[in-house]
Amino acid sequence: MVEVRLFATLRDGREKAYSLPREVCGTVGDIIAHLEIPPGDVTIMLVNGRHQKPETAVSDGDLVALFPPVGGG
Amino acid sequence: MRYARQVAMQEIGKDGQEKLAKAQVLVVGAGGLGLPVLTYLACAGVGCLTIVEDDIVEESNLNRQFLYTPADIGKPKGALARERLAALNPAIKVSWIGERLTQANAAPLVSGRDAVVDCVDNIATRLLANDACLRANVPLVEAGIDGFYGYVFPVLRGGACLRCLGYAEIASPKSPGAIGCTAGVIGSLEASVCIRLLLGMPVAPDMLTYDGTRMEFENVRIFRNEGCRHGEG
Repeated sequence: MVEVRLFATLRDGREKAYSLPREVCGTVGDIIAHLEIPPGDVTIMLVNGRHQKPETAVSDGDLVALFPPVGGG
Repeated sequence: MRYARQVAMQEIGKDGQEKLAKAQVLVVGAGGLGLPVLTYLACAGVGCLTIVEDDIVEESNLNRQFLYTPADIGKPKGALARERLAALNPAIKVSWIGERLTQANAAPLVSGRDAVVDCVDNIATRLLANDACLRANVPLVEAGIDGFYGYVFPVLRGGACLRCLGYAEIASPKSPGAIGCTAGVIGSLEASVCIRLLLGMPVAPDMLTYDGTRMEFENVRIFRNEGCRHGEG
């Protein structure tokens, strides 16, 4: 399973955390698509604490954290 | 004595209060985040505060920018903030730079500071502050808000920086929703991180995220991206 955490406005209308089977989320982009998040809504995508790209592959046990564009001041 | 309650704190004491009195902090932005940051640093007796702000007060600022009044609309925020902070604590020095942070002025403005607090609403300025602080080895406290959500993230030399988070590849969001209570929470946390840095206390290198819709905080560990060379020059 891949553990996924959503932050800030990505939580609106969704859960804050998901456990997804590796079969449905081979990459970070697959996770974003599976959760029906418009791709442009995610700007920071951490895999085990390091920012990656949508095409980055994920493995069982990985922790993926997704953030929307950074906010105002 | 003005600072009796905080001098009584084991973490501060007289020595810590003297550190605060000698500290020089640059605060970039005197808006929703900047005002709680500036207010709490001024009240705590941080000796030298420099505000970088070129904006004027607009009516739509008044839901969260609590040092400004309807009579201030059209006036420069930095001048008003300086005046009101000086009234809050006449023992400290507050100065105002009526400019934006730019490639040209970032290095001299950051140089010699004990900390920089980022309170802006755009990516370009965040990156300027990030790069200037890493080069000068000055700790940066970064934050952002969007509606009931917010985050705080310390950028420290050797740790993850905003470029490690991909900020160089993303566009500034279009005026996200903003409410004063969230700006207050996140600005207060920025001030808290800044004061801990000034006191030489440990600060977790995590992003602290705030979810005001669930009333939850969560720490997110972030690692420096391999290949990031910012701050080594």
